[in-house]
Amino acid sequence: MSQSLDAYLILASLLFAIGTFGFLARRNAIAMLMSIELMLNAVNLAIVAFGAYVPALAGHGALIALFVMAVAAAEATVGLAIVIAIYRNKRTPLVDEYASMRE
Amino acid sequence: MPFFTEAPAEAVATTGSSLDQLLVIALLALPLAGFGLTALVGRRLGARAWIIAVPAIIVVWLAALYLIYQTLIVGAFGDAGMHFRLYEWIPAGDFHVDVNFAVDALTAVMLIVVTTVGMLVHVYSIGYMAHDPGRWRFFAYLNFFMFSMLLLVLADNFLLLFVAWELVGLSSYLLIGFWYRRRSAALAAKKAFIVNRVGDLGFGLGIMAIWTTVGSLDFGEVFTRLPGQLESGAIQPWMMIGICLLLFAGAMGKSAQFPLHVWLPDAMEGPTPVSALIHAATMVNAGVYLVARANPLFAQAPEALFIVAAVGIFTCILAASIALTQKDIKRVLAYSTLSQLGYMFAALGVGAFVPAIFHLVTHGFFKGLLFLGSGSVIHAVHDEQDMDRMGGLWRRIGITHATMLVGSLAIVGIPPLAGFFSKDEILGESFKLGFVWVWAIGIVVALMTAFYMFRLMGKTFYGPSNVDPHTEPRIHESPRSMTVPLILLAVPSALIGLALGLPPENGTIHHWLEPVFRPLDEALHHGAADYQILGIDGFLLGASVAVAAVGMIVAWRLFGFFRLGPRPALVSSVTGRLRGPYVFSLRKWYFDELNDLLFVRIGGVVARGLWWFDVHVIDGAVNGVASLTQGTGRGLRLVQTGRVQNYALGIAAGLLVVAVGYLIVAR
Amino acid sequence: MALPQTIPLLGWSWDDLIFVVLAGVMLGGALMVVIGRNIIRSGLYMILSFAALAGFYVLLGAPIVAAAQVLIYIGAISVLILFAIMLTQSKAGPSNLVFHHQAWAAGVAAVGLAVLLLIVILFTDWPAEVADGVAAGTAAIARLLFSDYVLAFEIVSVLLLAAVIGGVFLAKREEALDPGERQVDEPTLARQPPPDRPRGVAASEGP
Repeated sequence: MSQSLDAYLILASLLFAIGTFGFLARRNAIAMLMSIELMLNAVNLAIVAFGAYVPALAGHGALIALFVMAVAAAEATVGLAIVIAIYRNKRTPLVDEYASMRE
Repeated sequence: MPFFTEAPAEAVATTGSSLDQLLVIALLALPLAGFGLTALVGRRLGARAWIIAVPAIIVVWLAALYLIYQTLIVGAFGDAGMHFRLYEWIPAGDFHVDVNFAVDALTAVMLIVVTTVGMLVHVYSIGYMAHDPGRWRFFAYLNFFMFSMLLLVLADNFLLLFVAWELVGLSSYLLIGFWYRRRSAALAAKKAFIVNRVGDLGFGLGIMAIWTTVGSLDFGEVFTRLPGQLESGAIQPWMMIGICLLLFAGAMGKSAQFPLHVWLPDAMEGPTPVSALIHAATMVNAGVYLVARANPLFAQAPEALFIVAAVGIFTCILAASIALTQKDIKRVLAYSTLSQLGYMFAALGVGAFVPAIFHLVTHGFFKGLLFLGSGSVIHAVHDEQDMDRMGGLWRRIGITHATMLVGSLAIVGIPPLAGFFSKDEILGESFKLGFVWVWAIGIVVALMTAFYMFRLMGKTFYGPSNVDPHTEPRIHESPRSMTVPLILLAVPSALIGLALGLPPENGTIHHWLEPVFRPLDEALHHGAADYQILGIDGFLLGASVAVAAVGMIVAWRLFGFFRLGPRPALVSSVTGRLRGPYVFSLRKWYFDELNDLLFVRIGGVVARGLWWFDVHVIDGAVNGVASLTQGTGRGLRLVQTGRVQNYALGIAAGLLVVAVGYLIVAR
Repeated sequence: MALPQTIPLLGWSWDDLIFVVLAGVMLGGALMVVIGRNIIRSGLYMILSFAALAGFYVLLGAPIVAAAQVLIYIGAISVLILFAIMLTQSKAGPSNLVFHHQAWAAGVAAVGLAVLLLIVILFTDWPAEVADGVAAGTAAIARLLFSDYVLAFEIVSVLLLAAVIGGVFLAKREEALDPGERQVDEPTLARQPPPDRPRGVAASEGP
């Protein structure tokens, strides 16, 4: 079981689906960001699994995962900064009360 | 009656000298400039608002005099008159219309009336409007009217004429509604405008018909080619009659002929100088001018001329019978104007075009005089127009009384004043041309005219004073700027008949206008017998003078004349015995009520039905499309919640759909 | 003590057991992140989930990635998120309404996505062999990083620098130019004692 690429991919897709649900369903902006991190990690898991099971990708998979982490760190930084800036204006972390994109 | 059997010399149209052309342009440019300047700076001029407008018209008058002299006395432009093109107005494919002007004998005769009365009315208005805060507006409009009216008589094609036609209608509207705060004035202005639209529709259709048959709108081309086409069989006689009747519809609107006469009496809501200028002397004559101008067409359509005669003479007796009982001094004069216009159309209808124009000229002067005089009376008794509240004024406002007496005698047709020559000629010609019924009605109208005019004079000037005791001591003669025009108008009212109409049927005006109406004379072939002062003509002349005298004397006996006192008891016994006809006349034959029933009530129901159709079916279709779009948009707008997660959900759903779709297709 | 080659009763290898446990921890943690009522607990569960993921990386023979996972996710991003939670939750506290109105739709979409991915994964013929374990070694990765991927590496460094600057700029409290403006600021008002409270009580509480 642990030797099968399928198992890791299924795991990654489940994690990704959970992250998607969180991103779509949570009202809290920070919870949404956490969900995004989950989705990124799911992708990372898939990438590393491919790197481990596909000979042509040996080494590259891990490297790409590292790049994804770096980009995720940048994304988290900026995302959280934005959330805090909006929070300061709106006094709420709840995204469904941010409706200024409507008009 | 001059009758030339030889073919007309193929007159080559001259373009006139550059001075003449310049003067023609000045005739239009000066009033327009006066209008523009007065409209722009008039408010700052205060009491001197006339300072631009009146001198402009005086210069116009002088320029017009020169042109009239050139045209009629010198004959510098020959029979065909002077024609020139200012510029090409509409070059649209086959459709060419120029801005071109013509000065021929007919135009010159019209210019005499328009510029002279116009100039005097302008001068008169200085005094009349002196205390009105809106005087700058008044003078601006008045100049604008002069521009429009001059454009009307100078235009050399139908479209330009139509434009001028509408412009005079517009200025008439503006001036009737000059005191727009008064509801009745605003309504009267609207009424005049709307009733005129009815006639203008016909006129417009007539112009279109001319365009489609001839392919040109130039007077010269239309008047030569349309009869030619009729002769060659290219068009049917009914088409010619149709065109003529459509043009006549326009004339009926502008000249207030039955059944479109209802606007003119109400138009008296405007200031009195306006009534004198527009609604007596100039604009209302536009219809007569149009028919006279189009005489080569009417010459080919005797049936149309018959209708013109019938409408004219009916309006004539209708208006005269209403004038008998009206109490408002201006309304009596308004119905009198209608009646006199009816005479003119009757004359046109029987083929007596020269007498029609002759009457137009004389009527322009004496009716202008009468209106200005009535304005002076109204001014004297402090804006009272009801004749029952006047009386005994002849000693108090002597100049006004004297001039109005001249005007009254002129309109009644007492020799040798102006009206005698022109009216008698109309009656005489209609008798001799075989329209005995026109003559018979006309002679009755002459009786009525004499009666109502001296009823007006009696109630206003003679007999005991019924003026409001508060204003009685303050009755005063009008300022010189008003009395001088009165005197200046009284002179032509008295003498113009002598000057132009002698010898009868072969006077100066006949020689002037003969070239213009030559096509008509040729077509109708009425060779006139020599004028027989001791024969038929003498009899007709005597009859009309006698009838006028009878009417006059009856009025004197009933309403007073100088020291001859009125007999109110006799008046009330007569009106009591003739209760039915009296009320019928007083209520103006119930035309307003009839129109109300026909157009406001019945028409209103029809219009409401159409409105329902419009709102629910036509608008419904249009609005349905709109609300469908709107509803779709509103529905789709819900998608734009402004919430990030809704959008993200959309992305997820889209991803799913695309991926599933791809899987299905890829399989 | 020698462990048996396979786990009794289940017949799994130890690797399998570790895999199953890690999967349970990771997915359970992730689920708790997503559905947890308390946002701070969500953050802590996220750390748990990330730690389990690091274990997977070890299982997959990528220790450097596992180390990076611990350092970056658990050490940096999670802490950052926890700080953000502290900053935004100070007043409102845990909210009763965790989910949106569209939560059911989100659930459908998530399940649909999972099903789709599962179908794709199960119906695709993946290579079954494990690649050369040494290839994911640190030295090989370092060599790749500074040869083939050097440009990407530089770009990521610039991106991180930009993110740092951007984060500082966005999160920086704007200086109120007008001192009067500060007073209308809501927290400033909130810090003042309620007007109906008698001043004397506050004073007596002092000592």
